[in-house]
Amino acid sequence: MRPFTYINAESKQQALQAAASKKNGKYLGGGTNLIDLMKEDVERPEHLIEIADLDYKSIKKNNKGGLSVGAMLSNSETANHALVRQNYPLLSMAMLSAATAQIRNMATNGGNLLQRTRCPYFYETSMPCNKRQPGSGCGAKKGINTLHAIFGYSDKCVAVHPSDMCVALAALNAEVEVAKPDGNTRTIAFEDFHRLPGNQPEKDNTLLDGELITTIHLPESVYAKHYYYLKIRERSSYAFALVSVAAGLQIENDTISSVGLAMGGVAHKPWKLTKAEEFLKGKQPTEANFEKAAKIAMADAKPLSENEYKVLMGEKAIVRALNQAYNREA
Amino acid sequence: MKTVKASGIGQAINRIEGRLKVTGMAKYASEFPVENVVYAQGVTSTIAKGKIKSIDTTEAKNQKGVIEVITHKNAEKLSGFDEERPAFTLTTKAPVFQDTQIHYFGQYVACVVAETFEQAQYACKLIKVEYEEATPEISLDNHRNKAYTPDEQADYSRGNMDAGMNEADITVEETYTTAIEHQQPMELHAAIVSWENDKVKMYASQQILDQAKTSISDTFSIPKDNVQIIASYLGGGFGSKLRIHRHITMATMASKMIGRPVQITVTRQQMFTNTGMRQFNEQKMRLGAKKDGTLTALAHHTLSHTATNLQYYEACGNVSKMLYNTPNNEVTHRLIPLNIQCPNSMRAPGEATGSFALESAMDEMAWKLKMDPIEFRIKNDTQVDLGADKPFSSRLLKECLRIGADKFGWEKRKMQPGANQNGNWLIGYGVSAASRRAPYRKTSAKVIVELKGGKVFATVQMDATDIGTGTYTILAQTASEYLGIPVENITVEIGDSTFPVTPGSGGSWGAASYSNGVRVACQNLFKELNQKAGNSNSAEASIDALLKANKLDKYEVVGTAEPSEEFKKHSVFSFGANFTEVWVDKDTGIYRIHRMVNVGSAGKIINPKTSYSQIIGGLTMGAGMVIAEQTQVEPNYGNFITRSLADYHVPVNLDMANIDVVFLPEEDKIANEMGVKGIGELGITSVAASITNAIFNATGKRMRHLPVTPEKLITAEVEPGV
Repeated sequence: MRPFTYINAESKQQALQAAASKKNGKYLGGGTNLIDLMKEDVERPEHLIEIADLDYKSIKKNNKGGLSVGAMLSNSETANHALVRQNYPLLSMAMLSAATAQIRNMATNGGNLLQRTRCPYFYETSMPCNKRQPGSGCGAKKGINTLHAIFGYSDKCVAVHPSDMCVALAALNAEVEVAKPDGNTRTIAFEDFHRLPGNQPEKDNTLLDGELITTIHLPESVYAKHYYYLKIRERSSYAFALVSVAAGLQIENDTISSVGLAMGGVAHKPWKLTKAEEFLKGKQPTEANFEKAAKIAMADAKPLSENEYKVLMGEKAIVRALNQAYNREA
Repeated sequence: MKTVKASGIGQAINRIEGRLKVTGMAKYASEFPVENVVYAQGVTSTIAKGKIKSIDTTEAKNQKGVIEVITHKNAEKLSGFDEERPAFTLTTKAPVFQDTQIHYFGQYVACVVAETFEQAQYACKLIKVEYEEATPEISLDNHRNKAYTPDEQADYSRGNMDAGMNEADITVEETYTTAIEHQQPMELHAAIVSWENDKVKMYASQQILDQAKTSISDTFSIPKDNVQIIASYLGGGFGSKLRIHRHITMATMASKMIGRPVQITVTRQQMFTNTGMRQFNEQKMRLGAKKDGTLTALAHHTLSHTATNLQYYEACGNVSKMLYNTPNNEVTHRLIPLNIQCPNSMRAPGEATGSFALESAMDEMAWKLKMDPIEFRIKNDTQVDLGADKPFSSRLLKECLRIGADKFGWEKRKMQPGANQNGNWLIGYGVSAASRRAPYRKTSAKVIVELKGGKVFATVQMDATDIGTGTYTILAQTASEYLGIPVENITVEIGDSTFPVTPGSGGSWGAASYSNGVRVACQNLFKELNQKAGNSNSAEASIDALLKANKLDKYEVVGTAEPSEEFKKHSVFSFGANFTEVWVDKDTGIYRIHRMVNVGSAGKIINPKTSYSQIIGGLTMGAGMVIAEQTQVEPNYGNFITRSLADYHVPVNLDMANIDVVFLPEEDKIANEMGVKGIGELGITSVAASITNAIFNATGKRMRHLPVTPEKLITAEVEPGV
């Protein structure tokens, strides 16, 4: 590891100030990703500002009928919290499919949003990677890209976002509240939080310098009955998704009145299936409609040289996740 | 004289060193407190082929705590390789930093020695290497014209293969591939080396101490007896620690240069490129059979790769010489030199991979014949090893298959794929036969008995190693059995090369060799004490009585066991059968191993508990070959893109099934006097085929290329004719 300074921030103000005053500093949450990347020499911060002890560790009902989840709470505590389990079981299911119990115990919610890609070209510092070293090229595009994007990639980067939690948050239309360096706050719609690589793959999200994630807001729960998180992966735990689907359905009079649908493992950000959602809304929850929705969702897919399989797998996964979500109560 | 104690042979006692391990008291190589120790770290190449143009070590050397940076410029000149591409044997030299050539990505190019581990690691990052890069040769497909025959044992034939194929009513000709895999034991490769006056003492995580001594002494041109290796405990090896790798040379060279003990740890990432792996194999199988299921011909052709500077191959085809009664048989092995590190032994080298091809092809033939795959195998059973032209000392393969079928509920299997369904799951049953040579090698042991407080205590000493398999425990049980004293009174001291020589742990010869060595030492003890006391050899006195009769408090003796003439006249193998039930999701590419039954005939089982652990470990590693274990080579740069245990996927608990393990009672006194056979590698053998055969039975898809990832399964076509 390279040398760095470290402070354990005692207040939000102190954390924001430290971030503003230090060049090349990073907030440190659970460290399950950042510390690994420092050992790998991929991340080279000169200052670490620990924020894991800040007082954003509660889960509270908010005044919009939803739930506000602290960014510094661990993934385990969040996924196993009674209010989350009762009202947002989709989020709980997605979170518990991620990593291992040990990692979930350490990882924070804010940190989960900021996970970096697992693209092997990003990790191996001797290979080109525009995300790690802008301008060096994308090794994956003409190399091994089995695990890479089929949606929304650019010439500069074909990496995917690795989080499971974020796929559920996208399906649930969450919002992210951040503290700005001046101490004020702003709220970002979840769909706008992560970004596509475009010409700046080094930027994973729309956070500005020094901003600190404090809270994740969930809207009123409508998918507590019909939900499913399907994760297809190479082994039963401690593996990232090849393809994952978060599906939430609200069924009224045998009609889909609301639907939340997002995919993981297919793009630089959690991939919200807006067209498929629009198609399903107002329709009956039938296998035929699920199949049509899946076809609509995958219509824009542009596989790379080695990940054609994701189109078929994605389609099958959407149908299965919707079926499982529907049949959970039916 | 010998009352069998409850803790003697055949008892499922707990590991005698278990408490030390779970309390962290068992010391592994890097954990010994050594005064004045410093830390070394290797720097590895970032190209796969070429030359080092320059190395700038200035900044690294100027760092606080850095003592030395070793490169080809200042390295000691060592005895190198005598030929262009020598065979990578158990005693091959391991020179390092002798020239500027880069043979593979991740090759050591420098070594930093510093006061702390962190200082060494940081300084490594400051070393600037410039290369003259060449296009690496990393694709098997692009270099097929360079395939060569590695040695005289690579090819074999009997009968006439073409005639056998012509005679056949049904033929199977298919190609199977297995992936590059890495052993990646939990304990990292590590050592603490002290060089003093041309004598070297090291704590090192090595499986075979005597051969390691040869390798080190040859590398540094010092007498073999000047080398002492201590390996009290190993956190697994799986073959990667059979040989001396270059980190040992680096640390030894560093200690010699700076005059202080040097600790070195190979990082998890470096273990992908510097401590061996299982090679990729392309296996072409040709089988011919009569309508009644009689095999008329069997050919097994393996193409693989080796390093450009070192040669190793696993003999995938050997299993096809001996497992079935095939009059016409052909086996070949070819290698292509590539700019990828030299492969080496990984658990059941040859058998794990070769049995996948053979037992898959056998299943394909049984399906074409519309024969039950168990009946097809039994039809072609043989009690003679046709490949060696020797009878088997014992072979209970038929019994393993029959008893396993019964235990598994094989009669419920439906011949037609896809016929057994439960909701979204397609259920399939698969079977495979397993065989693994049960070697037995010359082994010495020292036994010391002592009278203390009216009780007899014994100490066993040998240079054996316990790689996590239970060696400590079975040696205590053996001594207990042959000395007639309880296990609690026995101390086992192994893992020190100054103790009597054994073949070490590897190749499934450990248990048989070690235990017989202890047996002979114990028997010698009785013989000598009886003689001294003037008793006849057959006198039935206890150790206690014999010591007293000789007025002795303490007595020690060395014994050596070795294979008999009868052993040499036979083929000595363990056999087994694997049964697997898989559930395959009809749509998504997901599948689950639901349950497994393994039946083995592996001679006398010294400890059923540690043996059971060995077999479930083998089954898990075999399942890993199918589920996800693979190391991918980057096609443009030649590095492995799989570089940590986060992306090299070994099975997790959830992946594994309910497992039943059965050992058949077997008396094989030809194998050795105690009738003990190795099981370390039997457990992994042919497991992969039992799983892929079950996937076929579930789906009608033939998965001939390992691993069977969800992406492969979802895109695979159902076999024509299903």
